[in-house]
Amino acid sequence: MACLVGPIVGTRWPAGKRGRSPVFIGGVAGAVFGLYPAAVVASVLGCQVHGLEGHPVEVQVDVSAGVPGFFLVGLATGSVREARERVRAAIRNSGLPFPLRRLTVNLAPAELRKEGSGLDLAIAVGVSLAALGRSSPPGTAFLGELALNGQVRHVDGVLVAARSLARHGVRDLFVAASDAAEAALVERLRVFAAPSLAAVVAHLGGEAPIPPYAGGPPRVEEGAVEHDLAEVGGQEAARRALEVAAAGRHHLLLCGPPGAGKTMLARCLPGLLPPMTLEEALELAEVRSVLGELPAGRPLDWTRPFRAPHHSISTAGLVGGGSRLAVPGEVSRATRGVLFLDELAEFQPVVLQALRQPLEEGRVVITRSGGPVTYPAHFQLVAATNLCPCGWTGDDRRPCRCTPGAVQAYQRALSGPITDRIDLQVTVPRTPPEVLGREASGEPSRTVRARVERARRVQLERQGVLNAGLRAADLRRWAPLRPAARAALERWAEARGLTGRGFHRAWRVARTLADLDGGGPIGEEHVLEALGYRLLERAA
Amino acid sequence: MGARRPTPYGEAVAERLAMDLVRAGVVVVSGLALGIDAAAHEGALAGGGLTVAVLGTGIDVVYPAANAGLAARILAAGGTLLSQFPDGTPPRRGNFPRRNWTMAALSDLVVVVEAAEGSGALITADAALSLNRTVMAVPGSVFSALSVGCHQLLRDGAGLVQNARDVLAELQSPSAVLDDPMRLPEGAAAAPAGGGLLRHLSDVHPVDPGELARRLGLPLPEVLARLTRLELEGAVRRGGGGYLRVQRRTRGCGMHGAGAG
Repeated sequence: MACLVGPIVGTRWPAGKRGRSPVFIGGVAGAVFGLYPAAVVASVLGCQVHGLEGHPVEVQVDVSAGVPGFFLVGLATGSVREARERVRAAIRNSGLPFPLRRLTVNLAPAELRKEGSGLDLAIAVGVSLAALGRSSPPGTAFLGELALNGQVRHVDGVLVAARSLARHGVRDLFVAASDAAEAALVERLRVFAAPSLAAVVAHLGGEAPIPPYAGGPPRVEEGAVEHDLAEVGGQEAARRALEVAAAGRHHLLLCGPPGAGKTMLARCLPGLLPPMTLEEALELAEVRSVLGELPAGRPLDWTRPFRAPHHSISTAGLVGGGSRLAVPGEVSRATRGVLFLDELAEFQPVVLQALRQPLEEGRVVITRSGGPVTYPAHFQLVAATNLCPCGWTGDDRRPCRCTPGAVQAYQRALSGPITDRIDLQVTVPRTPPEVLGREASGEPSRTVRARVERARRVQLERQGVLNAGLRAADLRRWAPLRPAARAALERWAEARGLTGRGFHRAWRVARTLADLDGGGPIGEEHVLEALGYRLLERAA
Repeated sequence: MGARRPTPYGEAVAERLAMDLVRAGVVVVSGLALGIDAAAHEGALAGGGLTVAVLGTGIDVVYPAANAGLAARILAAGGTLLSQFPDGTPPRRGNFPRRNWTMAALSDLVVVVEAAEGSGALITADAALSLNRTVMAVPGSVFSALSVGCHQLLRDGAGLVQNARDVLAELQSPSAVLDDPMRLPEGAAAAPAGGGLLRHLSDVHPVDPGELARRLGLPLPEVLARLTRLELEGAVRRGGGGYLRVQRRTRGCGMHGAGAG
């Protein structure tokens, strides 16, 4: 890089001579082109996060003769434009030279819209390096917001950015100290916890090296079981349904009067699922990273998420949304865990409609003016509902006071596209006090989970997916029915006028029941039990 | 007359009673409402008899709409739809008690099947009494809130209805065509496998499969499988959050194997 010393100025850069007016110098320098460093270009890597994708951004800094000014180009939106002020103040307050010349910063690629404050550090490093006439080492990227005193602050989405930067060949990444653990989750990446801009520049100059962050690669741990099935009294049918749901990854509907313990049962499901794999934990961490919800220092959470949004939630809140670029919603926060919808009939129909794509594909694509983004939504749905608006149907303590029309309307609201996709439906009666009083006889979650894991292994070895993901053709191939089982299923379908979808649902559940029994062909007892987990068929 | 949301027991009684009464030549008058009314009309049709539906709306407005099919079948079977209100009168709260007076006035005898305390059926029974009509009531389970009204009527001197014979005696037309109302539920005999299970089921109160498993000391999967088998055979059905014994062939369930009622 050209670093000619202009004879007119007499020093390397006019930065230290803030008192002198560079305008006159610039005027002369412009005339004596070549004597003065005509164009100093530094290039530094940053990253722009777009949904769950990070795009490398090359920050090009050009210092040229001309009227002093700081121009930021390259589709920088409002929040990035503000970086100019932060960068200027941070550089000055760090005791670094700020070129009092025509400063042009280009954020390439220029067609990519830049947002947020994550490019602050990269811009400031670029300007400082250009001012010092140095270049950025290759394969190094910078990520962080700047405080006016030069400190590096947290930004959201560090994990997402770090993963894609690593894919693009970046080896060294500088982030805020609070983000170092998050960035260090990415293997093959050297992470430097940068306390301040001055420290980063000193490190790059070789004056005061920052030691790489010593976090080590992430280790797989086992999440805590927050709600144990042993605490549930009675509820044999619901317990069994939970086990089956966990084993085959079936969605589950719990019907029953208020106070029957539907929420408690739902909360037990995460503890019945196998421990998260690293890939699953990272997927969840990425969503939380974009939302800025990762705790500093301990970025990976090994407990499966349990999300229970209130029924007044909007579509954007549930599946994700936002004005320009969608942020993840509850379905993505619940990825690899459980999404619990209590009072299912109270949710707005359009909100429930929006669940169709995530339920079918395990991901959600949301398009806003900033373009489409894809978030994972690999959740297991547990829905709960009363049987009528007042909730007392099925409870002998109080009569139900609902009009017949109201009950019909309520059940019609329930039997929609969502319950259509729920394989398992059970009633949850109020547990009689004499059962509650007895000492807990239920199995602990750990025992049930061992059976679940065994059944899941059987499924994955046989067909590569869990039973809930089996389509009709797969069922014929992987879920052979014994003659008696087929006869029972067909007889039921004929008597009840089962739709094809209902038929396959019962078949899938029977497959899981047989897998809990060791994975042999499906017997009549499996089909009969599976048909016991259907409630809303007739309403459809 | 009776509750619009009866228990399965009440529905079965109304249907059975109406069927047996029309076979004895009685015309069944009811209000085409959901629940007991509809069951009574259905029973009368199943018995091959005549039935009169007294509407609380204009004659051209079928309310509730769910009973449109029933209204058509009543007409097809030679029955009558009747209304005191002008054509096009929509359902109005105040019209139904007036309709009930008409029903009482048209009838020789009023049978109340399942009425909660203070319900419309009780008000109509009072109207019938003031029109000098005989009022009879079907007793129900003492655990059910829907029995309170009927039991109150019985306490106040209404005639007790156990079967159609009681009603016919009151109408002074003894009959010999009646089925034995005390016989076993159909399907019970045909399903020895579920015998032990059926004994623990009620035809009024839904029983949760979990509770059944607890009582029988059987694993839940087995209980569920056996219940489904019984359901396929038409001996039990689901309702109100649990399983019920089927007293007799119930409308709309459409399970084959239930036998011809």
